[in-house]
Amino acid sequence: MALALVTLLAACASTTPPPPRQAASELAAVPFFPQTAYQCGPAALATVLVHSGVATSPETLAPQVYLPDRQGSLQLELQAATRRAGRIPYTLDTSPEALLAELAAGNPVLVLQNLGLRSIPRWHYAVVVGYEPTQQRVILRSGTERRREERWSRFMASWARAGFWGLVVPPPGELPASASAEGIGPELARQEAQLEPALARAAWERALLRWPEDPDILFAAANARRMEAGPERAATLYQRLLRLAPAHQAARNNFADLLLQAGCPAAAARIIAPARAAAPGLAPPVRDAITSTAAAIASQLTDNAIDPAHCRALSEDLPKP
Amino acid sequence: MLKSRLFVMLQIVALLVASTMGTAQAAVIGNAEHFAQQDRSQQLAQIDAVLARDAVQQQMVAMGVSHADAMERIGALSNAELQQLAQSLDTLPAGGSALGVLGALFLVLLVLEILGVTNVFSGI
Repeated sequence: MALALVTLLAACASTTPPPPRQAASELAAVPFFPQTAYQCGPAALATVLVHSGVATSPETLAPQVYLPDRQGSLQLELQAATRRAGRIPYTLDTSPEALLAELAAGNPVLVLQNLGLRSIPRWHYAVVVGYEPTQQRVILRSGTERRREERWSRFMASWARAGFWGLVVPPPGELPASASAEGIGPELARQEAQLEPALARAAWERALLRWPEDPDILFAAANARRMEAGPERAATLYQRLLRLAPAHQAARNNFADLLLQAGCPAAAARIIAPARAAAPGLAPPVRDAITSTAAAIASQLTDNAIDPAHCRALSEDLPKP
Repeated sequence: MLKSRLFVMLQIVALLVASTMGTAQAAVIGNAEHFAQQDRSQQLAQIDAVLARDAVQQQMVAMGVSHADAMERIGALSNAELQQLAQSLDTLPAGGSALGVLGALFLVLLVLEILGVTNVFSGI
């Protein structure tokens, strides 16, 4: 979906968006690392990383992102190096509004520009640190220039030729100002295996504060809590989610598994029952997980079993199936 | 001879262990799996993760990255990202520099620059 949007925007980018009427903003404190030959990737990445509190330099980052034969750095490797530095890279929603929202929130934006033509591209990374509305100028840390001003229309044309690609690296536990509930879930989940569990969980918890009723974020935060903060705190979230969305079968499965592992097979059986009934109509991974969980519960459940006392704390607020 | 046989045996055992470990936790649905259901390309990416890893590493080394650096860089990439890189490491945009001149294209670009279509040279 996001990819389709990028392609669509790139395809009709001959008309650039008009300069927005916005108060002037400039993040003057953002550091500057002048690039050496072809090293705009490490320089731009160091700019946003140091601003988010990481002690690093272009020299440290170059062996992590620079491809000598390509004389440049790839977007995916800038993201990977960000994760290695203990930060989460968020790709920006492809719009000028998102860019300005990030500036207003104090986040510089690492952008990819195509300074050449579509057919003869000149790819370049720079960091947007400000916008000046009366002159309609974008202010960048770029190449060897600490404070480069570009006309809005020219900047937007070069950014459009690069698919409006932008990267935000907020301090740990913060989210981009322009993030949406639909965007943040897939963005975090696809990177989670490459992140420190505590860092990922902090991001899910922050997303949960911003979108407390979003089922997918509740689900993800509950899973992250289970890995990081123990079953009780996860159980609270699974219950909140199942009250909001009783048909969230993946949540039923994971909550039932949690209860089973905690030695509460009777409560687990009550939770998994509706999911088991719905399983035949579900996608294979969810269906198989439910079947497997239900079988594990059945093997531990004896007739008229009553769970031990500690199970009450985990499941006293059970939603009715 | 015996040593190499032993090595092959060990590799087979390691592969079996690795492949069964993946299925042992099927009872819990992870975040990546949950969100990937909305995105089929990510599901497909799971299949050839090992192949992609090797391909990317070889290409990186061929492009001038040291072995040790390539290993570390690959470790920081997800399976889906590796898949993407394996197919297009040599064609994806590589942000480099506004510096440098494109030889014969110089004049064309200069004209376009003067016409205000591009901004290559003001980027230097």
